[in-house]
Parts: sequence; structure tokens; C-alpha cells
Amino acid sequence: MVTVEDGRIVAADNACTLGEQKFLGEPRLKGPIQREGKGWKDITYDEAILRTVEMLRDAERPLLFGWSGTHVEAQCIGVHMAEVLRGVIDNTSSVCHGPSILAIQEVGHPGCTLGQVKNRADLVVYWGCNPIEAHPRHLSRYTRYAEGFFLPNDYLDRTVIVADIRKTETGNIADEFVQVTPGGDYAVLSALRAIVRGKRDIIPRSVAGVPREQLFRIADRCLNAKFIAFYFGLGLTMSRGKYKNVRNAIELVSELNRHTKATISAMRGHYNVYGSNEVNTWMTGYPFGIDFARGIAFYNPGETTAIDVLARRECDACLVVASDPAAHFPRACVEHLADIPTVVIDPYPNATTAFADIQIPVAVTGIDAAGTAYRMDGVPIRMRRVLKTDYPSDEEILGRMYAMLQEDHPP
Amino acid sequence: MRFLMNTGRTIKQGITVECKGSPGYGSETSRCFMHPLDMMEMGVCDGECVRVESTEGAIVLAAAAAESVTPGTIFVPYGPYANHIIPGATRSTGMPDFKSTPVTVEATTDRRKTVYELMEEMGGVAYHC
Repeated sequence: MVTVEDGRIVAADNACTLGEQKFLGEPRLKGPIQREGKGWKDITYDEAILRTVEMLRDAERPLLFGWSGTHVEAQCIGVHMAEVLRGVIDNTSSVCHGPSILAIQEVGHPGCTLGQVKNRADLVVYWGCNPIEAHPRHLSRYTRYAEGFFLPNDYLDRTVIVADIRKTETGNIADEFVQVTPGGDYAVLSALRAIVRGKRDIIPRSVAGVPREQLFRIADRCLNAKFIAFYFGLGLTMSRGKYKNVRNAIELVSELNRHTKATISAMRGHYNVYGSNEVNTWMTGYPFGIDFARGIAFYNPGETTAIDVLARRECDACLVVASDPAAHFPRACVEHLADIPTVVIDPYPNATTAFADIQIPVAVTGIDAAGTAYRMDGVPIRMRRVLKTDYPSDEEILGRMYAMLQEDHPP
Repeated sequence: MRFLMNTGRTIKQGITVECKGSPGYGSETSRCFMHPLDMMEMGVCDGECVRVESTEGAIVLAAAAAESVTPGTIFVPYGPYANHIIPGATRSTGMPDFKSTPVTVEATTDRRKTVYELMEEMGGVAYHC
């Protein structure tokens, strides 16, 4: 429930710590701004849209990046724009769970919805993730502290295992914490696969810092569970091995399914990043890092992904929508943003604002704009707006840009 | 001393992430969590500044004692400070090595920069609301 006074949200009840701050989010830009020398000036929405379209028209290899903080309807327009412009479109999953998607493309995804986990999972494994700090309601709504249909005694009925390279807050509430040596996830997952396959005799005394006895105990807990929910985070996708770590985790879950029921899912972050992967896949066949330079959709992570395109100083213009690459990309990428025309579409001034030629503020989906967003388990949810403001939505702004670009390329 | 730098989320980083110019965001993302024994060996106290250097460059952070961090590693919350010294190479995956950057850490008397000072150093122009 939100409390609105004088057109502003002043309180958000029952939201988590992170959600409350998003509802109360201040300060927002009041209108579009344009960089002028070492300062900024206000411009109108019409001017901002026209100048952005001119920038994109003049570019030979534009990059359209972000998309995870906006609704599906706007993401669809973004893909159409990239195709018309013959540009590269990428979303934040390339620096988040992109490697997880690469693994899923190799070996599939034995996943399930959060409701199944809540009602059935008597063993929950969190690997390389820290939901207490990154997904504060995950444990209370779906796992450790959630009452389920088949698990009425929440805390007592469930076992929680946490594997990580440091003992996080989530590790502190686990029944069993597995301390893995940095970069050792692949080896530990391989050892568990071998144990589940009945090869206990080949396991050395310790694997990547995990004692053999603990590996046996974890494997036994898994084999004796009725329903295992395995969640993994960026601890697997960002460390050595990257998508191969995730592939190994999925294959462990596949092995476990020979003995019991087991599912695996990614702890997705940026709120509609899943939607961006879905939209891109419906429309192009690929989930992220799509290059339209050939006139058709081409996908090659490591070549057509935003980090690589920027670090190689390849793109000559950038449209950033609903994300903040200047805060989350390595310096080599950010320095190139400073050298090329850049437009940011985002409600808030952020680190990328400093590199923008123009920033266009928009309504926030779920606050003052309605739209569809995907939950971390792939369930689409219609987001209603709770506030009426004069800010246009991402869909309106991008729709106007796309209409102007279509004039250059009539069907 | 040589360390392996790990980056990740913290609740304070998540709360302030929509307001990058705020002192809270700058303060949280410029913390360098280290094991107290490593800090003792370096002669650094909680809150004192350390210079963290990788092949990409160097950044000044504030040391923060945390027993949860494995000795020989440091943990820095996601943000512009850690990314200032993370290489842009992705090993053909699209994903940089956000959780495994080798660094050296030493005590320093230099001060931490603000987020906007970092952005201006890279060619940006700060926008103040």
C-alpha cells in the first residue's frame, strides 16, 4: 500500500527495504536536459526526441543498451528500432545472468515457478548468491520462512544449504554453509555430480576447500530430499568458468532428477531483465547481444555484447534505456561512452547522466506507468500504476522515435 | 599485498542505487571489505584509506573489517569504484571478471573520490539536481 500526498509517494507499506526506496525514489529529473559545454540546459520533450533520432540516424553502428528497468511494451519497440537502424541491441543480462542463458542453451533449464518452491521444496540450495541482501523477500515468501501447502511448518520442514566463497548473511541462516575456494565452484559441483553418480571412492580428501565428508553429507541431503530447489547467483556467472559453472550446476540437477525431484533457477536481478530476454527471443530468436548490422539478427556473445562493443570502441552512438552502464561497466567501456554521442532515457539522474548528451526522464513502470514485467521465474505480471504524473512512459517516447525512424525506411 | 577482488551486492548499495550522487551510495560502493588479519598485517585500521591497484589502474577505497571475507581476498560492493579497475575483457562470454580480479592493496593517505569526480575523470560532466 502506498500513501500519496501532493502527487508524491510519501510511504510504501509492506514493501521490502529495496522496494520501499524504489517507490520513494527521489530526486527525479523534472524534464529533458541537454549537455552544453561543462553545464546542462533544459529542453523540451519534442527537441529531445528529435535530437535523439538525428543522433541515431547519423550513426553507422549504434548500440541500444539497457532495457531491464522498463516494461515489455517498450522493449518490443527497442528491438524494432535496432532492426531499422541496423544496430546492436543488448540488455543488462549480458553483465548479469547472460552466462546462465548460454548454459541453458547448451543443456536446458529444469526450472519451476516460485509457487512450486514455496509449496514443495524441502531442500533449498543457494549457490553463489546472497538473497538476504539482494532479494530480501525471497526467503520469507518462498523458502526458509515460508509456509507451503506440503510444508506447513516452514522453518522446521525445510533445509537450507548455502555455498559461497564468503559467509554472507544468507550463509549465517543456513543449516549448512559450504565455503568454496574462489574459482572452485566448477570443481565442487563436479565432485557432487560424481558422488550422486555413485563414485564416492574417487573423491579426494578436499575439493576446492570443501572437505570430502561435507560433500558426502550434502549429496546425501540432496538424495534424501523430496523436492530440491537450487538457486544460483552471480557467484557462478561472474567468476572463473562463468557459463561452464552454471552448466555444471544444471547437470548436477539433472543427475539428481534420476533419484528425486530437483529444479534449478537463476536469482535474476534487475526487475524486468527476464522480460527483456523473453522479448528479444520472441522477436529475434536470441535473448541478448543481438547485432542487426547484416540486416538479419546475429548473436555471438563476446562479440555482439555491450561490454565488448564498447571496449573495442566499435559503436559510434549509444542509446541507454533504463539502466546505468557508467556505474556498472568497466572503465574502458565508460571512457568510450564519453567519446560518442549518448542519450539516456531514465527517470533518475545517474552515473551515465555524466556521459549523456541528452537525458529524457520518463514514468516508472509500476509507479506512474502501467506495463508488463516478468518475475524472476518467468511469470509475466501486469504492473498497474499507483500514481498519475505528467511524465511520458518509455513506450510513448520510444514509439515516437520509432515512428520518425520508420519515415526513413517505409515498409 | 596481493589479493583477489570480489564484487557483489550489499543491502546499502541496493537502497541507494537509484541515487548515484548521494553520499550514501558513494560511501557504500567505495568500501573495501577485508579480513581483520589481513588489515592487521598491512597496518590498516577500519575506515582508513587503501589504494587498490589492478592492471587497469588504481582506486582509493575505505578499508572495512569483515570476518566473513576470506583472507587473501577483498570484497567491494558493485559500483563505479570497483569497475574503475576491472578489465573490460570478457573471455568471449560478454561478461567481465567481476569476481576475480587480481589486485594489490596498500595503505594510503590519499582521499576517496566522489562518484561524480570519478565520472569527470573519465570525461563526463556531473549533473547536480
